[in-house]
Amino acid sequence: MVPIIEVEHLMKDFKIAKRETGFAGAIRSLVKREFITKEAVKDISFTIEEGEMVGYIGPNGAGKSTTIKMLTGILVPSGGSVRVNGIIPYENRQKNAKNIGVVFGQRTQLWWDLPTIESFELLKEIYQVSNERYEENMATFTDILGLDEFLDTPVRQLSLGQRMRADIAASLLHDPPILFLDEPTIGLDVVAKEKMRTFIKEINKERNITVILTTHDMEDIEKLCKRMVLIDHGQKVYDGEISVVKDRFGKIRTLVVDLEESDCILQLSGGKVFKEEGNRYWIHFNRDEVSASELIAQITSTHNIKDLTVEEPEIESIISRIYQEGFQDLPNPVKV
Amino acid sequence: MLRYVELYFKLVGAGIRAQLQYRFAFVMRIVGMITAYSGTAITMWVMLYQFQELGSWNFYEMLFLFAIAILSWGFCIILFFHFRSLDTYILNGTFDRFLVRPINPFFHFMAMKFDVAAFGQFIFSIFIFIWVSIELGIDWSFGKFLFLLASIVGGVLIQGGLLVIISALAFWTTKSEQFYWVVMYPARNLTNYPLVIYPKFVQWFTAFVIPFGFVNYFPAAVILGKETPFFPENIGYLAPIVGIVFFVIAYYIWMLGLSRYKSTGS
Repeated sequence: MVPIIEVEHLMKDFKIAKRETGFAGAIRSLVKREFITKEAVKDISFTIEEGEMVGYIGPNGAGKSTTIKMLTGILVPSGGSVRVNGIIPYENRQKNAKNIGVVFGQRTQLWWDLPTIESFELLKEIYQVSNERYEENMATFTDILGLDEFLDTPVRQLSLGQRMRADIAASLLHDPPILFLDEPTIGLDVVAKEKMRTFIKEINKERNITVILTTHDMEDIEKLCKRMVLIDHGQKVYDGEISVVKDRFGKIRTLVVDLEESDCILQLSGGKVFKEEGNRYWIHFNRDEVSASELIAQITSTHNIKDLTVEEPEIESIISRIYQEGFQDLPNPVKV
Repeated sequence: MLRYVELYFKLVGAGIRAQLQYRFAFVMRIVGMITAYSGTAITMWVMLYQFQELGSWNFYEMLFLFAIAILSWGFCIILFFHFRSLDTYILNGTFDRFLVRPINPFFHFMAMKFDVAAFGQFIFSIFIFIWVSIELGIDWSFGKFLFLLASIVGGVLIQGGLLVIISALAFWTTKSEQFYWVVMYPARNLTNYPLVIYPKFVQWFTAFVIPFGFVNYFPAAVILGKETPFFPENIGYLAPIVGIVFFVIAYYIWMLGLSRYKSTGS
């Protein structure tokens, strides 16, 4: 396996003007500004191999976009080193640009006022894609993503799902070996999300494109990636297989029950009520210690259940558990 | 280089088609510009009706001065007006897209929009040129005509350069719109009248600091054979060179701003 992305002790500091509160404070900071240094990325190292699909996740402000911006050459690091396909992105931004495709879920890269097809034609010129390759790619993308239904529609009139499909196709027009996806499914409905994931999976498999995915949607990560890099406060806190984390922290399930009466005090062995709202109760339980049916039996012996669901653990809740319990006893990261 | 020329026309063509999507706004801009400039011309006429001349420039000479400014401003809008919205791109984060593509971001940004509504300026200024030439009996030799063209190119570069410099401030301050009103607008208004009527300091400033004197006053003085007190005779011939130098400086300031952007990200 060949590493295609190498990040070593990457750092990025920002100087931020300190804002004081209130009118007097605003005047004061107009005259005399104080700066605080914020370390957006403190010391992050990882390598990604060719053809890998990695979820790069963390809470808001953890340093995800800052890292991606350094990998794409938009930002210059304050320390450490980055190599993307053998190139140092910030030193050779234009050359690096040819090797990467970038999709920012919230902002389109397409020409807003023009029929969608025109954006593809312009990108073809910008990236100097040959006619044959352009035709081939367009045929493939049209086939899988159903672009033909809106190619003549101006981008501003596209639905979000259509726009995302167009954006991802546009980012792949020049056959980049690496694809950065920043929130690629944000705001999409279930069907559109599924379509997007299928497409990402397919291009990763068939074209061996290395994909780095940042997302808030844990389903994206679960369905697409084997490996995740979890960062928080600018530092890497976990790097390894998703299944390890899921096994370790994923045994906790949530039972949600609607009872006929409210204000009950549920005393359960093996389960713990952690939230209640009216007559709805959320109960955490460890599936190794107690089964859902045992728990339900315990409740029905004293109360009447109107409705119930058992929720699978989402990585999101797993992550918040990791935060609560700390990382110390996590299995050693598989990859460093 | 050739590739960039080709790409420029493709990007610009797309920009024009995008603008033509909004037909009504497009037509209204042209009409609006012609109306606004005619208004200024009428004000001039009213003023000069009283004084006959202003700083030894008569009404037609002043119209000529005005027409040069309008024509070069028209080209400037077409080529460089997109820079005025750079701060919006930086503010809402859409500027990054220019940095993930394999071409020069200055060029890419500049070619993204092409404001064809400046047609209003062309119609207005060409009409004025013909009218004034007849009234003043200007003898348009080939050399004179060539000089007019060259100095218009210079004027485009000077005004475009200032637009570029103002836009680059957004790399440091995030918002730069206000600088447009503080610097660009007054500078353009000054050039509506012959510089000779202003205090010496203002004249000096508009010649050597923000060289708007070279947009129209100095070249017009050469073509019309007018004197330019306080300045060497025929200083107007320098207009094209001043334009090139000023624009190159502006480009480097912009690039400097860009490298700052790359280290701060906002």
